[in-house]
Amino acid sequence: MTAETILAAEGLGKRYGGFVALADVSVAFARGRLTAIIGPNGAGKSTFFALLSGAAAPSSGRIRFDGADIAGQAQFRFARLGIARSYQITSLFPQLTAHENVRLACQAVDAAARGGLWRSRAHYPALAEAADATLALVGLLDRRSRPAARLAHGEQRALEIAVALAGRPKLLLLDEPTAGMSPEETKEMMDLIARLAAERTVLLVEHKMKMVMGLADQIVVLHHGRLLASGAPDDIRAHPEVRRVYLGEGRSGRG
Amino acid sequence: MSAPAAAPLPADQPALLLRWRLPLLAAVLATLPWIAPSQALAVNILIYGLYATGFNLLFGYTGLLSFGHAAFLGAGAYGTGIALARLGIGWFGAIAIGVAASGVLAVLIGALSIRSRGIYFSMVTLALAQLVYYIAFQADDWTGGENGLRGLTVSRLRVGPFALDFLNPVVKYYVIFGFVVAALWALSRVLNAPFGAAIEAIRENEGRALACGFDVRRMKLVAFALSGLVCGLAGALDALHLSIVPIDTLYYQTSGLAVMMALLGGAGTFLGPFIGAAIFLLIEDTFSLWTSHWQLFVGAIFILAVLFLPRGVWGSLIAWHQGRRA
Amino acid sequence: MQLDLIAVQLFTGVALGAVFVLLSIGLSVIFGMLGVVNFAHGAFYMTGAYAGVFCLAVTGNFWFALAAVPLLIGALGLGVERFLIRPLYGRGPDYPLLLTFGLGYVLVEAVRILFGTDGMPFDTPSLLAGGIDIEGLGYFPAYRLFVIAVTALILLLLWLLLERTRYGLIIRAGARDPEILSILGLDIARVWLLVFGLGTGLAALAGLLAAPMRSVNPEMGVAVLVEAFVVTVIGGMGSLLGGAIAGLLVGIVVSLTALWMPQMSTISMFALMTLVLLIRPQGLFGRGLSR
Repeated sequence: MTAETILAAEGLGKRYGGFVALADVSVAFARGRLTAIIGPNGAGKSTFFALLSGAAAPSSGRIRFDGADIAGQAQFRFARLGIARSYQITSLFPQLTAHENVRLACQAVDAAARGGLWRSRAHYPALAEAADATLALVGLLDRRSRPAARLAHGEQRALEIAVALAGRPKLLLLDEPTAGMSPEETKEMMDLIARLAAERTVLLVEHKMKMVMGLADQIVVLHHGRLLASGAPDDIRAHPEVRRVYLGEGRSGRG
Repeated sequence: MSAPAAAPLPADQPALLLRWRLPLLAAVLATLPWIAPSQALAVNILIYGLYATGFNLLFGYTGLLSFGHAAFLGAGAYGTGIALARLGIGWFGAIAIGVAASGVLAVLIGALSIRSRGIYFSMVTLALAQLVYYIAFQADDWTGGENGLRGLTVSRLRVGPFALDFLNPVVKYYVIFGFVVAALWALSRVLNAPFGAAIEAIRENEGRALACGFDVRRMKLVAFALSGLVCGLAGALDALHLSIVPIDTLYYQTSGLAVMMALLGGAGTFLGPFIGAAIFLLIEDTFSLWTSHWQLFVGAIFILAVLFLPRGVWGSLIAWHQGRRA
Repeated sequence: MQLDLIAVQLFTGVALGAVFVLLSIGLSVIFGMLGVVNFAHGAFYMTGAYAGVFCLAVTGNFWFALAAVPLLIGALGLGVERFLIRPLYGRGPDYPLLLTFGLGYVLVEAVRILFGTDGMPFDTPSLLAGGIDIEGLGYFPAYRLFVIAVTALILLLLWLLLERTRYGLIIRAGARDPEILSILGLDIARVWLLVFGLGTGLAALAGLLAAPMRSVNPEMGVAVLVEAFVVTVIGGMGSLLGGAIAGLLVGIVVSLTALWMPQMSTISMFALMTLVLLIRPQGLFGRGLSR
């Protein structure tokens, strides 16, 4: 891979008590590409995702983002550095409007506005404009004044992505964005992700392997908390070990 | 996952109300001495309304249910009282000292209690406030202990070349009114500012707020401090009003008072705490005329409110209005 | 400082701690299972003491009171869960908390109406009135020994219930994941009902046992609620072992402080709690901060 590295895991590991959830994972993610992290249940995807998004601190290893080691920093610092995440189980501000959900995400990464105590919100029109632009991007502009809790399920999933997108992150982490979706909704979501990935760096955790094969530039396969393989979709498809441990299970399972 | 917020806030209150909430409240409070059944009740609504409003910043807006706000009301009252009675400081300086003392205490209690999340938080705030109570109880050289702090009668307020007769009930009411409205104005600005939006995000979904880039812990601490300052001012005004600081100011039930008032009126709304304070004090006023056991009715009404009117009186009105519009 | 004074004070601390243990375990069981912080716990404790006063006035028999009071107040707890708390499940943890806070108000005021606002005497049962004098160590009142023994017995029974019976298995599974129970086809509502009754019954028992040692008055529940919270925060929510150890620890610390610095004795437990919060916010035996 010739592209410049935006994020790199170096010997990353995580233990919970005696349980090793992730061990010695080293992998580099290329700027401007869409990378998918796949693996069967319990492979360590969620742990890996939690470490990369700052939700948990690694027990060992480094996370290099734009060259600097950021492992162990507070989660809000990850967001401010430009790493944004979405949630597998929709996690919004339920009683606030769609617009306010996204506007808050813009506010959180804007150092001038973030915790302002005195000047009115109305003094920061750029945030509101950015929020509406993001809503338009995911096709929710006509729902902007509706409380998040009263949106349809598919709309909530789209808002979930919009909140992650709002702060113009350098790196977008998506956690199983199609989980629990109908086939139609899944199709729409995949189209949206393809559009987003055209001009952003996206890292996608996915359970279903088939889905990401046509979409991703790079695929990372985890198994039993270890890195099994990493490469272009065709290489992964041909990879003997991946075929053995993953495709075998995938065919009989939910793949 | 973070627990759902206690106060179901009607999302996106009417813009008209947002703009006019402060003038509306100020106008009602300005006419209160003529509406309320008694002058004493009117002053109490002012002071306890402000107290409940300060509490509401933390409970209704930030989603933190504190059961220790008596400590801040008390710190304001004792700070002011000690400055007046023991240190001989002028009335304005005494209020400033009371408010500052409450703010400092709020930072201390806040820093300790926000280490514990969710349901622990209420227990820890209650325990720490009770600690403050015991300390005040023991330090009777300064606080007067069990008998309360006495000897802080202020009869004239010097303001530059003028002197206001603080023994005149009307003057007294409007002096306190001035402080309350100033505090409400400041608080209204804070709630309208980005910070106000951020704490609502924390109330709605703490984990997501953190992931978005908000320093949740620091914001909770700031909310705690602001809440303490507002409640401290209420305590300072109460000390001036009563000319004594009873030890009960710091007691558990005083913390509960703020909780009840905010919830009865509508947690997470700007006007709710004042409406709740008015309802509570009216119930007390009415029932205590014919029974000394009026707390039985207060408790029962509160239970009914939790069961059937969880948004409070004002919160329900707003929600009803929203429902009609939608 | 003489050894005998310390020994007696240590013993007093353990007896006091035994009451804390009963209280905090009741609180902890209710929280662990229902996710409800019971702010009426102190009021149930107080009601237990008064129910004891009533039973004694009617029958004159302490042993009858000892058996009847936990059942009576436990039954009250069943009613409270069924009719007041159950409607609030699913509305977030703050609402049951608020409700029990209001309930505390009502219980205190009801007791004031029934028994008056002044304190009441509660004599030590005659059988336990004496004490044991150990040469060189001091005098140990029999009643306190009895309180310690009852608490130990209750702890043993609870442990057996939780670890050795089908019900215990259900309770432990339910505390970890309530959904498990419905998957297994068990009636969660009934388990929750009984657990709440159990918790309030324990609080009432604590109140009754404490009555001859501490004064009986309508406000006795407030101080004790705070004490129970302190113990629970120190021990860690939802841990039986944590509640037991923290209860004894707090009892001993309070008693020993009373020996050296009497005016600091109430404050000492808060100092301990603050220390624990700074070093281990989830409590000594807590399972982590989330929840």
